[in-house]
Amino acid sequence: MSLSAALNKVFFGEIVKGLGLTFRHMFEKAVTQQYPHTKPRLPDGYRGIMSLLKYDDGTERCVGCALCEIACPSGVIKVVSAEEPGRPLNRFAETYTFDVTRCVFCGFCVDACPVDALAMTKEYEWASENKRTLFLDKEQLLAIGDRNFPNRGKKPAYLGSIEGDWYVERVKAKSYPEDRETA
Amino acid sequence: MNVVTQLVVILGTIGVVMVTVLLHVAYLTYFERKVLGWMQDRMGPMEVGYHGLLQPIADGLKLFMKEDIIPSGANKIIFSLAPILSLIPALIGFAVIPWGDGQLTIPLPWIGDVTFRPFVTDLNIGILYLLALSSVGAYGILLGGWASNSKYSLLGGLRSAAQVISYELALGMSLVGVLLLAGSLSLVKIAQAQAGGFWHWYAFALPFPQIVALALYGIAAVAETNRLPFDLPEAESELVAGFFTEYSGMRFAFFFLAEYANMILVSCIAAIVFLGGWHAPFPFLDFVPGIVWFLLKVYVFLFFFYWIRATLPRLRYDQLMTFGWKVMIPLVLANILVTSVAAYFWMN
Repeated sequence: MSLSAALNKVFFGEIVKGLGLTFRHMFEKAVTQQYPHTKPRLPDGYRGIMSLLKYDDGTERCVGCALCEIACPSGVIKVVSAEEPGRPLNRFAETYTFDVTRCVFCGFCVDACPVDALAMTKEYEWASENKRTLFLDKEQLLAIGDRNFPNRGKKPAYLGSIEGDWYVERVKAKSYPEDRETA
Repeated sequence: MNVVTQLVVILGTIGVVMVTVLLHVAYLTYFERKVLGWMQDRMGPMEVGYHGLLQPIADGLKLFMKEDIIPSGANKIIFSLAPILSLIPALIGFAVIPWGDGQLTIPLPWIGDVTFRPFVTDLNIGILYLLALSSVGAYGILLGGWASNSKYSLLGGLRSAAQVISYELALGMSLVGVLLLAGSLSLVKIAQAQAGGFWHWYAFALPFPQIVALALYGIAAVAETNRLPFDLPEAESELVAGFFTEYSGMRFAFFFLAEYANMILVSCIAAIVFLGGWHAPFPFLDFVPGIVWFLLKVYVFLFFFYWIRATLPRLRYDQLMTFGWKVMIPLVLANILVTSVAAYFWMN
């Protein structure tokens, strides 16, 4: 053992080094985030609670196809589809229930939706003492969508309009759309 | 002063000392969490009060409210006795700690002169008394571990007994050098002998500076109070909580208070015996009251306890024993030898 190594051992050199390190860290800024007082900055693509969206005229996007129900790996979505009264070809979700307690926030439902009626929000503060408050229906999901996405998408002309219905009638008559420009 | 006034004065002094110590204990836990937090780039308690200043009070209230559980199969009498046996020696040790110098005499009408002193009593065997009490405190840990009817508690108690026996020798003998130089066991006399600047403190004074003894005393004191890196009796990662695994509520609080009171006590001894007690480091700083210097020295030691805890991991059991018997004790013996030779030639 060399002299310096011996001296290092006698005077606890390594321990003194460690003490210096901890002392230096005492004056460094804490990395703590005081969570309820300061909220974290969420990354883009963060998947919080799921929501239902509307078109700019306030009508629901959902067409009740239940593809989200099929895509959901934990089976927390339940869609009951129905015909729109007076317009039998237009369907919508009569009931749409969503059980947050078992949701895994995978976002597969959003990917599966053919009309972009679903979206993951950045809401995550849904802790509750009452489990029943976490069993959401369509109105609650639409409300979540409203408060998280205030800029609604434009409704396409062929949906829910006279022209749209006329187009559908022609499709029914010919079984095949010839004139795509009118769509 | 008649007997009744004397009694009132003594009881008053005891009350003041107890309140001071318990307040310090409460805020030691707070500052421990703060300092540990800062050293680990955290913040420590922040929620209760301004920067968490009321945290100790909240913790105390919580411990009061907790259910008091005695495990089935535990020896009820010893289980209840152990926390008290642990706390009382830690607290009555403060009877001989001098917090400052001098005395305050106030002439009161009808009663006569009343003298206040900054310590409860000046025992002529002060250090011996403190060392004896620290051994009695180990009984509380040992009995608590044994009476809990739990393997973790039992192992914690056994380790504590072994550790206290090993390190008490080093602790006691590291003080012997100073006792040789001071020629007294009274803490007041030892502190008085170190007046006039830091070069008169026994840690730095001629004929033989006791700085090695101070380092050894510090290590032994950490072991004696079961603090990291010598916290084997309560090693969380191995023994749940060691000897107080089965304790809850106020009984747990008693063990907790005892641990922190012991920390203050060993820091007080170090400040008095090695660092001149209430004396200022330079004579021109004498205008600052002695108690300020004394508390400052104690706080430095207490900070060192936190600092070491934030830095070092726990020792293995065999490392602890090897270090205690093969390093500490030969070194303190060598220190005594050299000090006594130096003192012999110095005095002649």
